[in-house]
Amino acid sequence: MLLWIGLGLLVLAAAVQVALRRRGGADTIFAILVLAGSAMGIAAAAGVLLDGATVSTTIASVLPGGDWVVGIDPLSAVFLVAIFVVGAMSAVYGIGYMRYDRELVAWPSHAFFALEVAALVLVVCARSVVPFMGAWELMAIGSLLLILTEHRHAESRRAGFIYIVATHVGTLALFALFAVLARDTGDWSFGALAQGTHAAGAARNAVLVLALVGFGVKAGLFPLHFWLPPAHAAAPSHVSALMSGVVIKIGVYGLLRVVWLVGPPPLWWGWTVLAIGTLSAVLGVLWALAQHDVKRLLAYHSVENIGIILMGLGVGALASAYGQPTLAALGYGAALLHTVNHALFKSLLFLCAGAVYRETGTRDLEQLGGLARRMPVVWLLFAVGAAAIVGLPPLNGFVSEWLVYRGLLQAGQSAEPLRLAVLATPALALVGGLALACFAKVAGVAFLGTPRSSRAAEATEPSIWLRGPAFLIAVACAVIGIVPPLVVPVVLRTGSFVASEPVDSSFVAASMQGAWQVAGFAALLLAAIAISALVMRWLRARVQRRVSDTWGCGYSRVTARMQYTASSFAEPLLDVFGRASGVRTHRGATVFHSEPFDLVLDRAVAPVWASIQRAAVRLRGLQQGRLRTYLVYVVGTLTALLAYLVIRGGAR
Amino acid sequence: MTPETATPVVALLLTLVLAPLVPGVATRTRALLTGRRGSPVWQLYADLWKLSRRGIVYARVTSAPFRLVPIAALGSVVAAALLVPLDGRASIFAFPGDIVAFAYALALARFVLVLGALDTGSSFEGMGASREVTFAALVEFALFVSLAALSVATHQLSLSGLAGAPLAERWTSATPALGMVAAGLFILLLAECSRSPVDDPTTHLELTMIHEVMILDHSGPDLGVILYASSVKLSVLAALVARIVWPVARLAPAARLGALAAALVLMGVLVGVVESSMARLKLPKVPLYIASGAALSALGLVLLLR
Repeated sequence: MLLWIGLGLLVLAAAVQVALRRRGGADTIFAILVLAGSAMGIAAAAGVLLDGATVSTTIASVLPGGDWVVGIDPLSAVFLVAIFVVGAMSAVYGIGYMRYDRELVAWPSHAFFALEVAALVLVVCARSVVPFMGAWELMAIGSLLLILTEHRHAESRRAGFIYIVATHVGTLALFALFAVLARDTGDWSFGALAQGTHAAGAARNAVLVLALVGFGVKAGLFPLHFWLPPAHAAAPSHVSALMSGVVIKIGVYGLLRVVWLVGPPPLWWGWTVLAIGTLSAVLGVLWALAQHDVKRLLAYHSVENIGIILMGLGVGALASAYGQPTLAALGYGAALLHTVNHALFKSLLFLCAGAVYRETGTRDLEQLGGLARRMPVVWLLFAVGAAAIVGLPPLNGFVSEWLVYRGLLQAGQSAEPLRLAVLATPALALVGGLALACFAKVAGVAFLGTPRSSRAAEATEPSIWLRGPAFLIAVACAVIGIVPPLVVPVVLRTGSFVASEPVDSSFVAASMQGAWQVAGFAALLLAAIAISALVMRWLRARVQRRVSDTWGCGYSRVTARMQYTASSFAEPLLDVFGRASGVRTHRGATVFHSEPFDLVLDRAVAPVWASIQRAAVRLRGLQQGRLRTYLVYVVGTLTALLAYLVIRGGAR
Repeated sequence: MTPETATPVVALLLTLVLAPLVPGVATRTRALLTGRRGSPVWQLYADLWKLSRRGIVYARVTSAPFRLVPIAALGSVVAAALLVPLDGRASIFAFPGDIVAFAYALALARFVLVLGALDTGSSFEGMGASREVTFAALVEFALFVSLAALSVATHQLSLSGLAGAPLAERWTSATPALGMVAAGLFILLLAECSRSPVDDPTTHLELTMIHEVMILDHSGPDLGVILYASSVKLSVLAALVARIVWPVARLAPAARLGALAAALVLMGVLVGVVESSMARLKLPKVPLYIASGAALSALGLVLLLR
């Protein structure tokens, strides 16, 4: 019930934007409605998460496909929390963000934003095929409209085109998926589909492969990620935050929902998911390191983090195939927690990157520098997000990566071939190390040192519309990191719900204890740092302090251009990975510059697309636009068909 | 407090006190082996005392990260040390998966150190930061190959388990595999603590440095605390490697503390021997060096998974 009111408020918020347009007060009413709606939605989801009960409503429908079932179960509740938190914060931020651009009419974008959040809610609440696919398409179209907000830029139009093609390939796979799934049962509700028999066989294998394609495109899994960097870079930053924070997570939701529908997946699927996850994580972070456009860089980090989520999901799937329910719950739970955590810190990073973009007018790292002095609040918030995404304690990223590591290492103790999953552990560590390098680069080059352009030197702190929502998300990151017992038991219970295994009470107790121990470590770490700070304060107070120039190693006329650039910072690490790192470098006597490209989009998708286009051009000769030619085609086709019928033995 | 519960705390305090000795022993060993007398083994204590009374110069462009470097370096390494069974049996704090916390606490210190280096706007320090994150990412990979191998060998998820009593039994049944893992870990220790052949702590040319160049602008007590924290890091990792090679869980508490002190000195000597016998590698060769450590541990891991 609360959820319906929440949804109603979101739609009302969109209506307010449409009705009032640019009149005063529209934005404030919009913000209040979105916040109230989201609070109701979170309350509804929290109720389900706390008592673990599932609620659902059936809406009678005369359309084909049967009645519409809509409801909340623990799996959808976890995603609802992420959608409402990120959606509400980004919507409020968007108001301030769009005000920077006086020429752009902002109200349609705000209205679409509220509707997109509502569509996302419907996707995770749909419990039968027709509302699910309907909401899915609403979400896809909504995303397109939001990407096209700044459609006067060719970059946005190209990104929108690539996105709409990619997302519809995914939709096609989903149609096939549900067609196979509902082949035998006449009932199209998820409940009926879940109870249908899913014996190992071609049909179940087809469903699982189609799920990887259909939901994989949405999630941005390697090698289906190619639409994601251009779309995230071209969209306004609050839209990027929503897309990277929650829209791509709907792909993860879909995979978990399919696992829930078909039961313990076969071994090959678990290994495939683990392998794709590992590959996505490593390549995603490597390619992120090569980027100099802040938003493209963050977009590649989404590929990385979806990879980490899939590593957890893969462990869960493998464990449930090998009949280890507690490890399955741990794997799925780790995937769920990393989903929520990534929604938080990635949207935080996008909101901060948007503030930088609006204040400086550029997303190019090589033009930034020294922003920490100009915008200290944004810098602090960005630093929290960066530390969280790298997985550093005591922030939320550490908690979920710790769970993924635990899943992998625990798999390594199994007597079955499952123990080979432990081989993914070092890959996860490498991802952590590369992410640290990448965020040291962004934070160091954009915020520290001296400004590399006049625009960076003149930036100021953005308005409260931009800082407020980002601050609240940063607080959430810190709270989950310092007090993990708040969330760990919830995601592990949901993990066992996905695995369709009853919750073992000793497992819940053990996980609670583990979560408290992580909290204990966070407290010890903070205490150790606080004591060090006191020691430093005492030591510093006893000596003389003065300020001078940076040590120039004997050179006295230092300029901002002499600083290490983003290109040069990343070069040694990209060099280690050779051609896989996807950069073109330009070396001159006084210049070093690197240009990233996407190995999949620029080396595979675009060339194939171009060759299809070339083939289509050759066919153009057939389309002359002259009636005589078409009459010849008609007569020719008729003759050919008649000839075919005569040869086959004539009409019966 | 019984001797059993007190030994981990005493072991930590012992490590914190002896830490500056380890680089001193390494440097002295190196000097003796190359035919010089060298500085006394307690040189770092003297340096720290001197630095604590010197004035501080902050670079004009620097902000909070630069001032946070010594704080984060010391705090994180002490927090990480709480997880290591320094006394050979149990750590002060342990939980399943604390090996991740150990590695990531050290990563936190590295993140702040690198940001502090970039904070100065100096191209030399940027260069050092870039090299540091490059080699650290590879070391992280190799480190987790070793830790995964030890976890598979002992069926434990915490450092206390990995390097404690269960390991002693596995040494008899899986000697070659564990030997390779231990050797791999020692290779990583040299890379992680910026020792030769990856980095040369005694070099005087900025272009060839990694760790030293990142702290060029630190001075006075700030520099002293950073140097002290890196000696603690070296000692903690040395103690960890020593505990893996030489499990002492069954000895009496006093003997275990003696073993810790002996292990620290011996590891210092070993580091010195390596430094005197091989020159610093060219930077492009360093990834291969780290990969050799990873490969050794990976062989061990494969043998254990067999």
